[in-house]
Amino acid sequence: MSSVAPLPAVRLTYGLLLRQLVTRGRVLALLAVGVGVALVAWAVGAADDIDDPAEAAVAVIAGLGFTAVVPVVSLVFASAALGDAREDGTLVYLWLRPIDRWPVVVGAWLAALTVSMPLTIVPLTVAAGLSGGGRDLVVATAIATLVGVLAYTAVFTLLALLVKNPIVWGLGYVLIWEGIISGFAPSAANLAIAGYVRSIITGLTDIELELGDKPVAVGVIVPLVVAVAALVLASRRLHSMDVA
Amino acid sequence: MSDWAPPTPHVTLPEPEPLGPAPMVEVAEVTKAFGDVVAVSDVSFRVGPGVTALLGPNGAGKSTLFRIMCGLTPPTQGTVRVLGQDAREDREVRGRIGLAPQQDALFDRLTARRFVEVAARTHAVADPAGATARALADVQLDPTETKPVGAYSKGMRQRVKLAAALVNDPDVLILDEPLTGLDPVQRNRMIRLFHDLGDRGKCLLVSSHVLDEVARLGSNVLVIAQGRLAATGDYRALRELMDDRPLRIRVAADRPRELAAALLGSALVDGVSVSANEMIADTSDVDRFGRHVAIVARDLGVRLREVEPTDDDLESVFRYLVERRR
Repeated sequence: MSSVAPLPAVRLTYGLLLRQLVTRGRVLALLAVGVGVALVAWAVGAADDIDDPAEAAVAVIAGLGFTAVVPVVSLVFASAALGDAREDGTLVYLWLRPIDRWPVVVGAWLAALTVSMPLTIVPLTVAAGLSGGGRDLVVATAIATLVGVLAYTAVFTLLALLVKNPIVWGLGYVLIWEGIISGFAPSAANLAIAGYVRSIITGLTDIELELGDKPVAVGVIVPLVVAVAALVLASRRLHSMDVA
Repeated sequence: MSDWAPPTPHVTLPEPEPLGPAPMVEVAEVTKAFGDVVAVSDVSFRVGPGVTALLGPNGAGKSTLFRIMCGLTPPTQGTVRVLGQDAREDREVRGRIGLAPQQDALFDRLTARRFVEVAARTHAVADPAGATARALADVQLDPTETKPVGAYSKGMRQRVKLAAALVNDPDVLILDEPLTGLDPVQRNRMIRLFHDLGDRGKCLLVSSHVLDEVARLGSNVLVIAQGRLAATGDYRALRELMDDRPLRIRVAADRPRELAAALLGSALVDGVSVSANEMIADTSDVDRFGRHVAIVARDLGVRLREVEPTDDDLESVFRYLVERRR
């Protein structure tokens, strides 16, 4: 009896969990959120009584897009990828196999990424275009969304293996830690993915944003390092945890 | 019945096995605690090829023990080896185990064929399509069915689980209540399949809380109760032991003290306790008790209102076996 090589294991896990993740309800609900942001951005872009349209456009993208759309979409799919399997006991069908743990984690993460990315990057870049913020904002939005989703999905994949209610904990991180606490404490802001993502926007548009005070390179590299670290930790957790 | 003596049981407490071929599953002094709750307590046994039934009531610790064997949860104390390895650490041995867990959840959006094929591929089976077809045939599921398993009945879902457990031709099969939800024909078929696999040198551990099922699964039985290994050995001797245990009967009567005294004097009971409106009798011969209690009551002029056993269930049988072990 042999074991499954890593790449085939990633493919198998990815295909299996992707099919479980894509449900009509989830996709439509989260698409509606993105469309909502695009509509608000269009309204801002169409308004002719705004003093600084570029600043307003950036505020909409950062305030709605990177506070609501990117982290919430990532949370819903990444926490479900392995979290649902853990919750209902089907994780045993991936765990009790001659497979290393990290391909299972990477496959789950890639499945979450596959669904999260189009539901965020498309509506937000469209929103950036409609907002009147210019080409720089569109490019910045695309890059920031890409980096943000990569990081958030990895962190929330780990979260789903650590806690029983990852949605609740994830929303607490997004709304309380990133939304409130980071605003008061610079040290806390270093642990907020949102700060790094906003730095990409600030750096590429020259428009200042709260928490967005880091160099662009830092804004790109740190979330990617966090993503890798989260996946490593998730693999270790999958190895050591109790499986239903 | 004054010269009645309990039969000598041929059911033994766990003993170390003599030297011979290495056991396929070896559980040594395993204890598992979840916080303050001890689910499994100091269990040791070894099993080799063939079918071994794990008998015990719900909540006895059977599923926990199976999870420990598969490595799904580590023991708090003790060691478990499957084919000489720890399934929690050894990737290769996980490919030689087939598990049909008790929980009902499957990947509901897949068809049965797809579910079993994924199991084959994640086990690195050389010919996943062929192995899938054989496994589905073994459990009599239609490989061309397009309905997802989420729409299946309980019995069909059970068969999907079994097929997924069989698809990699494992050396060790751990089946947690595998006959639940199956109709009698399917049940017979599965039991025959289990015996065929055991005859081919596979080690099957099959859990059940139904005595009749265990009787048909085979003669080698491990009885688990309250997290402990209460008895191990031949099913027929186990059944005799269970049948010969004292039973407790509640008798509601208008004059229970008089009745109790008469029954004690007639040696129909091993002991009695009396309260205002009833007596509780312990008897080793429930049939004789049942035939004579009404006669004794009639001769005394005592009115009987109710006669019922208070511990004629499997739970009390297992408690009895655990207490015997102590």
